Amino acid sequence: MSPGSAAGAPRVPVEERLFSLVLALLATDTGLTKNEILSTVQGYRQRYDHGGKNANLERQFERDKDDIRDLGVPLETIESPAESGNQHLRYRIPRGSYELPSDITFSVEETAILGLAAMVWREGALSTESRRALVKLRSLGGSSDEPVLGYAPTLRVRDSAFEPLRTALDKHQVVRFAYLKPGELESRVRTVIPLALVQHQGRWHLAAEETGTGAQRTFLLRRIVGQVAATGEIFDPRADDESARALRELEEVWSSHTAVVEVELESDAATRLRKRRGTVTAPSGALELHYSDLNIIADELAAFGPEVLVLSPVELRDAVRSRLVLTARNHRENAHD
Amino acid sequence: MTKRPPTLQATDKLAFLLSLVPWLIDRAQVSVAETAKHFGMTEQEIRDAVMLIAVSGIPGETHQYQDGDLFDIAWDRFEDDDEIVLTHLVAIDDSPRFSGREAAALIAGLQYLSALPENADRGAIDSLMAKLARGASTRPSEMAVEAGETDAAVALIREAVATGVQVEFDYVNSRGDHEHRHADPLRIESVDTDWYLRAWCHLRGAVRIFRLDRISALTLTALPIQFHVGDVPLPDELFEGSADDLFVTVEVTPAALSLIADYIPDDAERATVGDRVRTSVRVSHYHALKRLVAGLPGMVTVVEPPEARRAVVEWAAAGAARYGVEPG
Repeated sequence: MSPGSAAGAPRVPVEERLFSLVLALLATDTGLTKNEILSTVQGYRQRYDHGGKNANLERQFERDKDDIRDLGVPLETIESPAESGNQHLRYRIPRGSYELPSDITFSVEETAILGLAAMVWREGALSTESRRALVKLRSLGGSSDEPVLGYAPTLRVRDSAFEPLRTALDKHQVVRFAYLKPGELESRVRTVIPLALVQHQGRWHLAAEETGTGAQRTFLLRRIVGQVAATGEIFDPRADDESARALRELEEVWSSHTAVVEVELESDAATRLRKRRGTVTAPSGALELHYSDLNIIADELAAFGPEVLVLSPVELRDAVRSRLVLTARNHRENAHD
Repeated sequence: MTKRPPTLQATDKLAFLLSLVPWLIDRAQVSVAETAKHFGMTEQEIRDAVMLIAVSGIPGETHQYQDGDLFDIAWDRFEDDDEIVLTHLVAIDDSPRFSGREAAALIAGLQYLSALPENADRGAIDSLMAKLARGASTRPSEMAVEAGETDAAVALIREAVATGVQVEFDYVNSRGDHEHRHADPLRIESVDTDWYLRAWCHLRGAVRIFRLDRISALTLTALPIQFHVGDVPLPDELFEGSADDLFVTVEVTPAALSLIADYIPDDAERATVGDRVRTSVRVSHYHALKRLVAGLPGMVTVVEPPEARRAVVEWAAAGAARYGVEPG
């Protein structure tokens, strides 16, 4: 093999270059400099110019580093104490933080339930990531031929704000977005530190801290208008379990709101609302329901048309009534077109 | 064939290579067929991966990728018997850790499934989640999902599947009709907070989907099921179109489009009319439509046919009338 002949060198597949890079960085204790990597590692060396014009190759290396880190490979940068400057940084993958600790094993039952947990995501980045996690899980040997028979559960992420927010969360980036608060006509721009993404009652929420006031706020992803932008500012990650706290708080809000509704006997509303989580049937036959957001439950109850009559709170009664009036009017006006 | 972006494909292949090597190390020898089955890939994909591993390694002291710096396999076994035997190893001993995002995806999935009857042992699920977090190279993303609410019906249905007996139950459909059904349970499905039973319905003589919250008085029968999972094709999509479906033209605010995405046929036209999108939705009957539209007030308006509009008006006006309002 003759290194260095850039012209006419056989093309090395991307995965071979990435694999060779991981192997080279795992094998070194002291780390390799960028130049050592570009001039010796398979996939780079074929394109390395000993004359020094390697700007394209360096950019390739930067992208490869990101790709490798995205897979959970802890590619480290160490500064050489004697020298300084970009060219003297050394790169390596410390074995201890690369390898799965040897005491982590998964039983057949655990492997089966993890297979089901991965299946929950059917689209987008979460689906790619969970499939990749399953490949790593199979690496440990756990058999996957035991399908959990008869389940096809799914979670959906349809909010376009989800992926940018998740990236910002992982990279500790402050974000800015326009938010349409329920009951307001105009959206307002918010700048926040994202703390957690949580799904509660089928809807995705962002728990965040406002940068100006430090106040904690919860945003519904479906009310975020337009793009989520990173401001360029980085925040210090929190030590607490923010997602568990956010979920707990949403649950508290949910249980603190109670609506009382009357349902038509044996109707769809009667069957379904009675089975809703937390519903209590009062001695009068009325149902007491919990909810997080007045506007959302108003939409849900309006769908039941005459099968539901809201008794309290009065704001919810008004909200459902005006929704039904609006729907009837919109369709009448159309009818007279 | 759909083509994925090349970098994605390459990183997925890399994750596979890093996972395959330790698995092969743990096995002195293994067939290509078994490896393909274990990883859910084709035999050719496995052969390609093994050939790549066999010529890979580290630059070594000479920077020349000398023989001792490369992986090696028993080539004769590979070529003659389709068997994989690693004869020389480089750099890799153990399986890679999960990324923080990978661990978070599985943890959130587990949280969602934690209410299933199989997961009654809460401690086991917690320890599994803790293991995933510990097995990740960075802290899992701050993400959480509320446990999916499943009622006692799920446990009964699971029991019916396990013992191979039919279930019977009362069902209220979206028309408000009550029917008593006998069914062979095939699969429990869900989307977020909505749970469904996919079953062979003996009343209809076909596979039907039932909302769990519309099922009541569910009991197991002594009758053996006639159809098992695998006997009948089950669709990947929750809602399947039927030849009897009705097509309705609607105008939707852009924000509400994703909320009705399940009802919009793939080939539906989408035209912008003012600040709205005009498209069509497919429904089984107007009873389903009126509920859908009344639940998205001001966001979705039915354009035609007139019978569909009438169904919505009557439904909403009857609802308003309960509050003593006559919408004009």
